[in-house]
Amino acid sequence: MPGDATETSTDAAARPHARWGAAGAVFLIALAAVFMAGGLELGLGVLFRPGTGAFPFFTGAILAALAAVTVVQDLADPGLAERPDWVSFAAIAAALAVFAVSADRLGLVPAAFLTTVVASVPDRSLSFPGKAALGAVVAAGAWVLFIQLLGLPFRALAFDLFGGA
Amino acid sequence: MELISAFAGGLATVMQPQTLLYCFIGCFLGTFIGVLPGIGSMAAIAMILPLSFHLEPTTALVMIAGVYYGAEYGGSIASILMNIPGTPSSSITCIDGYPMAREGRAGLALFVTSIASFGGGMIGMVVMAALSPALARMALSFGPAEYFSVILLGLVAASAVSNGGAVKGVAMVTLGLMLGTVGVDLTTGDLRFTMGVPELRDGVNLVIVAMGLFGVGELIASIRANAGGRATSVDYRSNTWPTRDEWRRTWGPIWRGGAIGSFFGALPGTGQTVASAVGYAVEKKLSPNRGMFGKGAIEGVTVPESANNAATQTAFIPTLTLGVPGSASMALVIGALMIHGITPGPRILTDHPDLFWGLVASFLVGNVILLILNVPLIGMWVKLLQIPYRFMYPTIIVLICIGVYSLNNNVFDIWLTLVFGIAGYLMRLFRFEPAPLLIGFVLGPMMEEQLRRAMLLSRGDPMVFLDRPISAALIAATLGILVFGLLAGLRARRRLRLAALPADE
Repeated sequence: MPGDATETSTDAAARPHARWGAAGAVFLIALAAVFMAGGLELGLGVLFRPGTGAFPFFTGAILAALAAVTVVQDLADPGLAERPDWVSFAAIAAALAVFAVSADRLGLVPAAFLTTVVASVPDRSLSFPGKAALGAVVAAGAWVLFIQLLGLPFRALAFDLFGGA
Repeated sequence: MELISAFAGGLATVMQPQTLLYCFIGCFLGTFIGVLPGIGSMAAIAMILPLSFHLEPTTALVMIAGVYYGAEYGGSIASILMNIPGTPSSSITCIDGYPMAREGRAGLALFVTSIASFGGGMIGMVVMAALSPALARMALSFGPAEYFSVILLGLVAASAVSNGGAVKGVAMVTLGLMLGTVGVDLTTGDLRFTMGVPELRDGVNLVIVAMGLFGVGELIASIRANAGGRATSVDYRSNTWPTRDEWRRTWGPIWRGGAIGSFFGALPGTGQTVASAVGYAVEKKLSPNRGMFGKGAIEGVTVPESANNAATQTAFIPTLTLGVPGSASMALVIGALMIHGITPGPRILTDHPDLFWGLVASFLVGNVILLILNVPLIGMWVKLLQIPYRFMYPTIIVLICIGVYSLNNNVFDIWLTLVFGIAGYLMRLFRFEPAPLLIGFVLGPMMEEQLRRAMLLSRGDPMVFLDRPISAALIAATLGILVFGLLAGLRARRRLRLAALPADE
């Protein structure tokens, strides 16, 4: 069913080696170090009365140790990780960013429209007018459901390009 | 007698028009999400959380529960018709469901799974009603040491058996505990790790973490999973009603699946998928038709569906009576209750009986609603499967954005969701499971509070966790699970390495 296929060029992308998981574990060690340092700064207190920094410090220490084991395990892992879909990943991330930028400046309806259009970029079977039409339907639906029916305090339209609400 | 009158009170609560309406909404949305392959009940609950904040607590809980078990019903539809599990636990249903569909018995398979789901749900409900008061009474004697130990057990159980291995699972729980410390320290009033951002004073919102890790992360992964077209031409209208022999072969598996599911659902860290898998394995051993398993055995679709639905109901037992969630979905339930100012634990039965028994009674009402939605209205869900996913996922991302934005009308929350979404997808790629992170995040503040209290009451003696028998037993169980998880992980790695050897040589 070719007309129904979303962008599949990423299907050809190679599966990364599971070894790359070690990079994530190294990031966790760095994060743990931040929490440990912050914990020390906040104060560890004493056993009788643990300080504000005690819990983050000790959880940070445990995480650092576990992440170090994970680095070793992942580096020795002969397998492959899940095949990434970078196109969808980028489109969805961009869609969220577009909503974040436009919700206050343009209002809910344009934000929903733009978010839909950007999110549907991976789908090459849908032409730009098709994407725009889908965006219009979703934006109209969002307006009816959230503003008209649920009465949520959103601005449907707001053209405040240089600031926020 | 006392149980029956309490249940009747719960039924009266859930039959109120507003509660009934939201029970229906929850069941409908749960089935909707369950039907969509790749998006689980976690994402659905995360999406519905902002709406639940505007509701009265019982109504909110009934709706969230409806989403949770509705997704299990819906999950079997795509499994049977397309061989794509809508939820992880319905993957077991594929084994016999899809062969049944290919033999022209899709209608029968869908009908039987609905009946089995209903049966399993009812068994789970009875178990929950019978066991919860006893467990809550026992937990009333818990002090801070026992609470700390039971939380520790819940965290380790939920992480040690995670797909990425015990070490990664426990690391994710620890990361969750750490993230839970962001914001104001409730004991001292000091700010922790807010980086001067005023929006982080109250910590990171649970909805943002859940929406990012599960909503956004799962959505990205589901785009390719659904890219190959979703239309199904399987005939599901004919051969729906079971013959007398098929009815006879269904009852036993419903009971057995319900019993197995009820047991595993109540255990932290196992959940519906384990319940379905164990139920299937047991039935395969017991059934006189074991040769048919994998080729379209009616028992093969009955038992996993009964088991996973029973497990969804009994998962609420430790969640509500001990305040310890066995899964990430249950962690969200705890989070939702705490936002409403209700702390789950043994006192919930005495302090909020309407909430507890309303939930139990809603299982009956919700399962009846789901039976109606899944038997006479099955065509509606099949039509949903025929809608191209390219129209659905952009709509879902807009709903996620609006849901997060509605929390505080602040776009900072959207940016934070983006960060967690990116993290969720990368974690998925490299087998860092996000579910333990969420459980740690929810339980972290409670764990820290109980630890501080235990230390204060014992005058700084850490042996308090081993001196008290219940606490010592819980710690021993925690260590046992941890060792089991580590050994299982090592064995799996050795198998992988051995499998990779010939390719290297």
